[in-house]
Amino acid sequence: MTSTQAISRRVLLPAIGVAMVLAIWEATVVFYKLPAIVLPSPFAVVATLVDLVQTSAFWRDVGVSLYEFVVGYAIGVALGVAVGMLVGERPMFRMAATPVIESLRFIVPFAWIPLTILWFGTSYAGKIALVAYAVFFVMVVSTARAIAQVEPTLSRVGTMLGMGPWRLAWKVHLRAAAPMLASAARAAAAIGWIAVVAAEYIGASAGLGLMITNAATSLTTSVVIAGMIVIGVVGAGVSALIGAASRAWLDYR
Amino acid sequence: MATPAIAAHAPPRLSLRALRVVLGVAGVVVAIGVWWLLSRLLAHGGGVINRLPPPLAVFYELVHYARGDLWRDLVFSLRVFAIGWGVGVVLATVTGLVLGRSQLLGDIFLPIVEAIRPVSSIVWVPLSIVWFGFGLTSKVFLVGLAVYLVVIVYAIDGSRRVPPDLERTATMLGMNEWQRFVSLVLPGTLTEVLIGSRVALMAGWGTVIVAELVAADSGLGAHLIGVEQSYDVPAVMAAMICFGLAGFVMNAAFSFVERRLTPWRHDHATETS
Repeated sequence: MTSTQAISRRVLLPAIGVAMVLAIWEATVVFYKLPAIVLPSPFAVVATLVDLVQTSAFWRDVGVSLYEFVVGYAIGVALGVAVGMLVGERPMFRMAATPVIESLRFIVPFAWIPLTILWFGTSYAGKIALVAYAVFFVMVVSTARAIAQVEPTLSRVGTMLGMGPWRLAWKVHLRAAAPMLASAARAAAAIGWIAVVAAEYIGASAGLGLMITNAATSLTTSVVIAGMIVIGVVGAGVSALIGAASRAWLDYR
Repeated sequence: MATPAIAAHAPPRLSLRALRVVLGVAGVVVAIGVWWLLSRLLAHGGGVINRLPPPLAVFYELVHYARGDLWRDLVFSLRVFAIGWGVGVVLATVTGLVLGRSQLLGDIFLPIVEAIRPVSSIVWVPLSIVWFGFGLTSKVFLVGLAVYLVVIVYAIDGSRRVPPDLERTATMLGMNEWQRFVSLVLPGTLTEVLIGSRVALMAGWGTVIVAELVAADSGLGAHLIGVEQSYDVPAVMAAMICFGLAGFVMNAAFSFVERRLTPWRHDHATETS
């Protein structure tokens, strides 16, 4: 009995919910005779999605956005963890860097978009820099906090075993902080992915963000919604991938 | 130098507070110095970044903007933000209470909320412009959505987490459903909503920026796009600083209010925004 109940709670009821939302969506379109410009029916969106997947331009947009994201993300995580470790390990450095980091942190990545366009034009470099910036601050703050929360006994044991400060940081603190870093890396991925999309709205020559703004200007709303779904799915996929990778890495250790 | 853990236990030689201020000022001075040096080095065409103005030029531009249109633009942006934020918080609280307290409705609709939630409101910008045009409505919709998607989690969480002790006390006192709701569920939910509303500040403010950059007709974001299109780098940087300052002031003000309203709470989990 309990397993059927669990199935009904986990599968059946959510399925009813999705069906209800789709039915209301479809009914609104039919009942108010909404033109496809305002709101295409769910079937039209699915058809558009199927058409899109078969075009090479679509895959090019996906590839460009993912490329910008991956490179920027890698740079941002590497620099963010490095600086975050310095901030966490060295009190003097922390005191000197905190005001600068905190004030830059309040200039959200999106506010940098116009400047990256002036500096880098519509090239990939601008988006890469933007993603790196967005990811960097998430990682710096979380790494510093994670290092500060490492069990002091571990540091003492390390010191007793004759580890120098850098060895201690690398061998003990970083590993103790790894679970927190992994969850920060996931949060940073979500922020970085959105930064790519937002940057592509404003100045880009290719990418998913450009695809849906172009579709919006030409009022092909079904492409806009299909594109939103793709952006959501890719974002969720990236996040799941990073989650799985970090879990595998943590298990291995 | 000892490890930080041991240093923390040792009595400070120099006043820690003084050291922090001195080093903090030194850090800022070094950062501005590096900026100034870079602007000198790159002044005559240095690779990709050949448009880096010196700090003073940005400061003058900031003063100039503050004497001119800044306040009008800021009022536009803040109005969009405040309306959207208010609408988002209220709607999230109501739906959070319904979905959190009703097992059936929660089971049916929570997975949908969870599926939409990770998709940032930024992704909705083009659709919102198709639906509502370039005016106030589309921006309010976007900010409201951003805030809603953050706050609803806190609202659901708060509505479900009534301490068992209080639940038993309520039963003992013979409280009916309505009394329980008003004196147990609602206060707990509103406390969580308050925290969620602060976390949502930065999400909402970021959405204002993107919405105004894309649908550039009014506000700080429109100004930012305007000066960008005239290649005025000092003005672009000044506008960025205005965005940062406004976000900082809002965050500080809200933290202050939150601490006043819920003094019993520790402020550990709410810092990440």
